[in-house]
Amino acid sequence: MSNIYLPWNASKRRLREAENARKNRLEIVKALSHGQVSRRELSKWGLLTAAGMIAPIGGLSPFVGTSRADSSSSIPTGAAPSPGLSGIEFTQPMLRLEVLKSSPAVCIEDPTGGPEMTVSSSRSNLTGADADRQSCQTKMNVDAALGGGTGPCEGRPPGEAWAHQHWDKFEPKVAYDVTTCGAKTNPNGNISFKFHPSLADQGPDAMWTFNGTMPPKLVLGRYGEPILFRHHNGLSPEVTKNGGFGRHTLSTHEHNGHHGAENDGFTGAFFYPGQYYDYHWPIVLAGFGSINADATDLKAGSPTDAGGINKVAGDWRETMSTHWFHDHMFSFTSQNVYKGCAAMFNIYSSLDRGAEDVNDGVNFRLPSGQASVTGKSWGNLDYDVNLMLADKAWDGHGQLYFDIFDFTGFLGDAMTVNGCYKPYFEVEPRQYRFRILNASVSRFFKVGLSDGSDIMQIGNDGNLLPNVVKLKELDEQGIAERYDIVIDFSRYKPGQKVWMVNLCEHRDGAKPNGDLKLSDALTPGKSNDPCVGKFLEFRIVPSKRPDQSVRVVDKMPLIPNPDLSNIPIARTRTFEFGKSSGSDRSPWTIKTDNGNGLSADFSRVSAMPRPGTREIWTLVNGGGGWDHPIHILFEEGQILARNGSLSNVPLAERGRKDVYRLRPGGSVTLTMQFREFSGMYMEHCHNTVHEDNAMLLRWEPGTGLVPLPTPNPSPQGVTYLGSTQIPNS
Amino acid sequence: MYKKLLSHSAALAAMIATAFFTSSRSAHAVTWGADYFTNVPFTTQDGQTVHFFDDLLKGKRVFINFIYTSCGDSCPLETARLTQVKKILGDHMGKDIFFYSFTVDPDHDTPAELKKYAETFHTGPGWLFLTGKKKDLELVRKKLGQAATAGQNQVTDHSTSLMIGNEATGEWLRDSSMDNPQYIATIVRDWLAGAGRRETTGSYANAPPLPNYVADRGGYLFNNQCGACHTIGKGDGLGPDLLGVTKHRDAGWVSAFIAKPDQMLSKKDPVAMALYAKYKQVKMPNLRLTDQDVNAIVRYLESQTTASGPGR
Repeated sequence: MSNIYLPWNASKRRLREAENARKNRLEIVKALSHGQVSRRELSKWGLLTAAGMIAPIGGLSPFVGTSRADSSSSIPTGAAPSPGLSGIEFTQPMLRLEVLKSSPAVCIEDPTGGPEMTVSSSRSNLTGADADRQSCQTKMNVDAALGGGTGPCEGRPPGEAWAHQHWDKFEPKVAYDVTTCGAKTNPNGNISFKFHPSLADQGPDAMWTFNGTMPPKLVLGRYGEPILFRHHNGLSPEVTKNGGFGRHTLSTHEHNGHHGAENDGFTGAFFYPGQYYDYHWPIVLAGFGSINADATDLKAGSPTDAGGINKVAGDWRETMSTHWFHDHMFSFTSQNVYKGCAAMFNIYSSLDRGAEDVNDGVNFRLPSGQASVTGKSWGNLDYDVNLMLADKAWDGHGQLYFDIFDFTGFLGDAMTVNGCYKPYFEVEPRQYRFRILNASVSRFFKVGLSDGSDIMQIGNDGNLLPNVVKLKELDEQGIAERYDIVIDFSRYKPGQKVWMVNLCEHRDGAKPNGDLKLSDALTPGKSNDPCVGKFLEFRIVPSKRPDQSVRVVDKMPLIPNPDLSNIPIARTRTFEFGKSSGSDRSPWTIKTDNGNGLSADFSRVSAMPRPGTREIWTLVNGGGGWDHPIHILFEEGQILARNGSLSNVPLAERGRKDVYRLRPGGSVTLTMQFREFSGMYMEHCHNTVHEDNAMLLRWEPGTGLVPLPTPNPSPQGVTYLGSTQIPNS
Repeated sequence: MYKKLLSHSAALAAMIATAFFTSSRSAHAVTWGADYFTNVPFTTQDGQTVHFFDDLLKGKRVFINFIYTSCGDSCPLETARLTQVKKILGDHMGKDIFFYSFTVDPDHDTPAELKKYAETFHTGPGWLFLTGKKKDLELVRKKLGQAATAGQNQVTDHSTSLMIGNEATGEWLRDSSMDNPQYIATIVRDWLAGAGRRETTGSYANAPPLPNYVADRGGYLFNNQCGACHTIGKGDGLGPDLLGVTKHRDAGWVSAFIAKPDQMLSKKDPVAMALYAKYKQVKMPNLRLTDQDVNAIVRYLESQTTASGPGR
């Protein structure tokens, strides 16, 4: 186990040694390559082994810890802290996520009357073929670095099995045309790619993001307005142009849409540099095939531009609000998401309108903004703020740093919000909504306010809760969990400050070491973890206009859970995550129904639930030394029990969920139904280091007969592997 | 030593600082190169000295796992599984794809022991079994993120992960050698191919048919656990052909041996000892099967024997 940082109170000598080690390695390599020192000299000094390698000794390698650094009395380390952090806390304003621009899409039916349909965008730069239901296989030249020859322009596997499901029913109405590429300056506002103005620019090999720019991106969608998200891979065809980590192939998971699996970022359906992939996000209420199918309920609706409601089919109790989308490349998800391949997605509905002054008896009027001021009938962000929390680390050159050989879990030492190192944010004395996403690799958070005052939790993961829950501090928040909260700043006066505080301490990436009391988290020196303590400063500024949002109070009803009582329980399954029994076995597996511990093989199907049924799944953490936030794709689940009892389930987890934190040695029992779409979905640990190659399985809601062949993508085209399945799946 | 090293480093740093001061971005491209992995020496099963980076990793696609030859648990199964992967990779073996099995028990696993082990498993070209100094072997495990954690036995608790890497591209991932050999072969042959042209494995229509294991637990277990070493009617592998085994051996013995082969050997069961000698002393691993699993496998063996007509 290793960590990447020294404790904040490490002796100056120790910090110097670690910094020197990292620096010396680079300088020696450089000096050698520039001919300024000879191998003979280095060898004479004992810095070079007889075989010509730089000696693997403590003072020279940030990866080889000194004996002291391995001691268990403090955070173990091999490397120096990310440089340049001293004295810059709360000196930069927090960047808001940048809203991605869409354009209207026009659908052109197949003139021959076939099932195909083409989407054309009014945007002139939607390059490549227009979007079809099936993958576009028009050949283009492939870069020599990818093997040359020709290959399809779209990376989505060809044919009917990967055609967009329910395409005719949910014709795309808006199109996005987005490219993932290396870091560069954002022309909108001339924002350079930095964690803080005083820190280094991230190079194009260090960070990869949508459009290649800071801040991270945000999509605003609404029910009844299906999206075609064309994602271009603009990364270098040279796989080594990655700053030491990250893989240039991509697969984008819209977490946690009710979509066909072909649009859900299956880990094995990745696409290469130069290709694109058309993701069709229908944005539908689950149950559209059976509940409120004739769309008569105003609560199942979408905001119209005129301020009214466009009724849609489906169960209004399945309304979702806060998603994110991120890379899901097999084996490299942790590296790619850490590099910046992640964005957020707010979904608007008649209930959750994003316009607090629309008072029609349906809109919850949650803090957001005012249509009467902005002219926008939905999606106002003035008082509805996305917070993407992530721990990062950088090397001596200020470039993002990651240890690909740390399989326990990777921790950074610099706390960022929306890509900004410990920023401040100006707020008016009124209610604000914050959609908090844990976008880390392995780190859990636990959020409170520095004065210990109330936080109203209104949502968990994508979903508004049945009832508002009043808390002094939020529950631990695992990787990929989203907590939707409301803070009432009207209790402060302009000029005052209050901070968001992280109470959750890590010593390694396996699990939280523990949660600190607020007073301890605020006391320097109580924790060696540099990400504990204040991370976001709120500065209260004078009010611009009266707050017109609903007064969010404890127990206020929001969205009740869907009624599952009439859906037959087809079967139960158990998935155990963690160390397989026996001393001499791989510790990184999932056991299905007490079967063998299996690592990730996405050609294997571990469960085939039948559409129209529901099942009860128990997720078990096989050990006490780890925690695992388990994500199940596609449908929302309801937690029935923790460790066998409903009474162990906190109120804030009594709604719908898509990530289930097992807690060390714990278990979660949940129920899910399966409807309307099928294909290759996954279930995996969202500690993405645990997920990569180990804690991931594939499941398919299908006929229960034959799993689909497994895609084997190449730049020259997709071929297929056979699939296997476990017995009784 | 430490003080001396620091003073040299400081001198060097000062010298370089006066010489030039530019960003060394180029260093990032070789993050996982020679200076990370080091070039410590190891000895192969043929007694040759090889250096970790220069001889084993540089420019190659590799599988690396950690074994010990006296292991009666997972190692023989891992090795047998990798033998299947090797067959799938065919001509790539020893050309651009290499297997390295490092011992975790250098006191026992001499080059001669490793050679015997390699021959037992018919490992063939491109697959080295390596031993060396204890600290060098530990260094390799640490570099690959597979070091034993505190309190673990360095030998019996060794990581059974399979590390898969392409040194030239810096892509490294971790898998398990217990899994589907076809899948493992695909990872290294296709997905880590770097600039190499991918081989095609057929169209959607030609994707291999799916074995119907839905209601056939015995068939699943045989193919995923036993099939690495045994066939039913297709001849001997690392272990015997099992066609008719349920007819010509005592039913109780078959079940007992499938369940706990290690205990049968340690009790010096005469049949087990004879098989051990006949099949080049490959120890059948204890797969920790439940009674239910053992029964399912026995039923599967019976059904396959019946299906193939009059047995031997």
